[in-house]
Amino acid sequence: MLSFAPWAWALRARTSIGCDHLMNQARAILWAQWRSQRNFFPRRGIGWTAMVGLIWYGFWIAAAFAVMLLTSSPLSTSLSGVFLLVFLYWQVVPVLMAASGASLDLRKLQAYPIPVSQLFWLEAMLRITVAIEVVLILTGAGIGIVRNPTLHAWHALGLLPFAAFNLVLGVGTRDTIARVLARRRIREAAFFLLILCAALPQIVFTRGQVSADRLRALMARMSWAGWPWTATADFLQGHAQLRALAILAAWLAAAGLFSYWQFRRTMLFDVDAASARASGRSALSQFVEEFIERFFRLPSLLLGDPLGALVEKDVRFLTRSPRFRLVFLMGFTFGLLIWLPIALGRQGTSQSFLGSNYLTVVSMYSLILLSEACFWNFFGFDRSAAQLYFLAPVAFSRVMIGKNLSALFFIVLEIGMITLVCGLLGMPLHPRTLAESFSVAAVISVFMLAAGNQLSLRQPRPMNPAASFRSGASGRVQAILFVIWPIAFVPVGLAYLARYAFDSEAAFFGVLAVDAAIGAIVYKLSLDSAVAVAEQLKEQIVTALSRGEGPITA
Amino acid sequence: MSDLSRDTAPAIEVRDLRKLYDQKAAVDGLTLSVPRGCFFGFLGPNGAGKTTTIKMLMGLAPPTSGSIHLLGLPMPEQGLAIKRQIGLVPDESLLFDHLTGGEFIEFVGRIYGLERTVARERSLELLNLFELGNASRKLIAEYSKGMRKRVAMAAALIHRPQLFLMDEPFEGVDAVGARLMKDILLEQVRHGATIFLTSHVLEVVERLCDRVAIINEGKLVQEGSMDELRGSSQTLEDAFVRAVGVGASRENLDWL
Repeated sequence: MLSFAPWAWALRARTSIGCDHLMNQARAILWAQWRSQRNFFPRRGIGWTAMVGLIWYGFWIAAAFAVMLLTSSPLSTSLSGVFLLVFLYWQVVPVLMAASGASLDLRKLQAYPIPVSQLFWLEAMLRITVAIEVVLILTGAGIGIVRNPTLHAWHALGLLPFAAFNLVLGVGTRDTIARVLARRRIREAAFFLLILCAALPQIVFTRGQVSADRLRALMARMSWAGWPWTATADFLQGHAQLRALAILAAWLAAAGLFSYWQFRRTMLFDVDAASARASGRSALSQFVEEFIERFFRLPSLLLGDPLGALVEKDVRFLTRSPRFRLVFLMGFTFGLLIWLPIALGRQGTSQSFLGSNYLTVVSMYSLILLSEACFWNFFGFDRSAAQLYFLAPVAFSRVMIGKNLSALFFIVLEIGMITLVCGLLGMPLHPRTLAESFSVAAVISVFMLAAGNQLSLRQPRPMNPAASFRSGASGRVQAILFVIWPIAFVPVGLAYLARYAFDSEAAFFGVLAVDAAIGAIVYKLSLDSAVAVAEQLKEQIVTALSRGEGPITA
Repeated sequence: MSDLSRDTAPAIEVRDLRKLYDQKAAVDGLTLSVPRGCFFGFLGPNGAGKTTTIKMLMGLAPPTSGSIHLLGLPMPEQGLAIKRQIGLVPDESLLFDHLTGGEFIEFVGRIYGLERTVARERSLELLNLFELGNASRKLIAEYSKGMRKRVAMAAALIHRPQLFLMDEPFEGVDAVGARLMKDILLEQVRHGATIFLTSHVLEVVERLCDRVAIINEGKLVQEGSMDELRGSSQTLEDAFVRAVGVGASRENLDWL
């Protein structure tokens, strides 16, 4: 019989929930996360991550230094605008990038006896990861205030409630949006509502008959003393500090109540039930299903097997992935509504670069949104199938080409949707504009696919395609974009330079044709190399993609 | 409920439990009572609603309707107090893959309120007990399926719970490992713990469990002691097949 003598401990675990116990739980979660990171990172390309991180955060440290210089000398204007920008970056950018930063893996932690309040505060602290950039800016502002000879050093303390307000509000915003996007029937409607909310201010400012005076008045109202950013600026600059502090405390309390309520609802939320398909089939749903089935079969009509089967599988998989659907939808909705008012200007006929290259600009924005699933991490997105690709009796080059063709299928579809919506909105769509946007997207895509084939194999990261909001820190994604996108845009930039220098469309398209030829050679070389890499690293790739995370998903 | 009646209440009491996924019932009016100190097997074919039921018991999925009482306490109202007294061997996706086995067990111990040094000490002892000592430096991601189940069970034991909820604990475990796990579980029952497990390995259920319930399409189709369930059948497998019906015919698949 088995003896329990070696571990004959006290029979019962402690039952009281003292403060110590709560702190121990928090420490245990953070400890487990630290161990997970430590165990995981040395096994991946930490050098590359460090390099892009250094460039990206170096830029923000420089910006923080500039803010420090600004705030360390006597201030003649209110800092309200700076804090409004900080607020928008903290709360709005994660929505625009569909990236919610690191967050607790509640699915796993819910099984343990951890109080909701404990998880809430940890989650609030994790909202720092959404916007490390603005934390740097706030630090710069704080140091500047301390060094400012006309202000007291303790004025800098006003930054703490403002930061706390943003952290706490971030939890509520994230939880509300994530839950709405997980609901099968209302997510699309909610998404369009969100788009309208995001686009409304721009449309009002640029398309509405808002005169400069009224705009100024509106901006003045934006710096109304009751806003948290204005109250923060007032406190820091020593104006009506008691009132400012009371306002900040009220905002913090309101954000806390709202976010805690939303967090509790998330804890009780059943993702499976919310996303379940209806069991009955109406005539309409049957028609829609048949239409979608024909759409899925489209690649197989053009391509023979196994390529046809590979592309069809990807089209089915990506179309059913909430994460991919969100970024695809954002490409031709957010993209259009955000850039449209800027492009048109207040007269509706802007001759600016953005106005005359509107379709191309929106197409590029959509490419950025689609890039993770289509270029940078296509195996990570499709992690469950990765092993099958290595086992299937198909040359790996075919698998890569299949992945690339699926990406192109969705890119063409996306730009097609953008064009269609532009047409519906009455935007001028000349054949030249269309040719330009499709050619530019094609050239950039070829270079991106060449780079993506390498990155997807060398840096595979497991993704959860069911999570509409990506957990990965937005800073990391922006860092990738910061380094790679400018390089990918160089060939296209040369084409625009040729058009500018020679004032000739022929020069523009000629350079694009040369770019495409170079891109094709680069793509072929990259593909051959990627096949060799896949053979060499297949064990590591499959292992990396089969991994989960620690208690915090990042 | 007073402390006394709570102590004598069934370990698990479920009444008219329902879980709907868009009007389709995954669990449909399940009523079940598991006495304390019982080794209870919860069986059913694939998609019958076993995992959904165990998720609801663990507090991982809210029921659409019905009530759950564990150890005399209502779920989810007393969720924290209940969770402190139960040990979970969940679906293996709930493990933290980037931790080593020892780190994971220690983490669970600390979450259950054990002192850090105690948690570490016990995690090492449990690793050795479950013969995972040689793999103590490996990440859980690198474990085989059987090793993952062993580490999950080791973690479930660290705080000496009164009730164990186990989802397929023997899946992928080799014969030696399964024997070890069975011995440990029987020892726990002898000490007064209650075990509620789902399993597809009917031989294991037949050998270990005092009572068994069979669920099919979300509904309870049979419940009773092992002898009651077997009835005129020779084995549990016969009784199970009789209760849930046989699968589709292969006669039309000439090519197979």
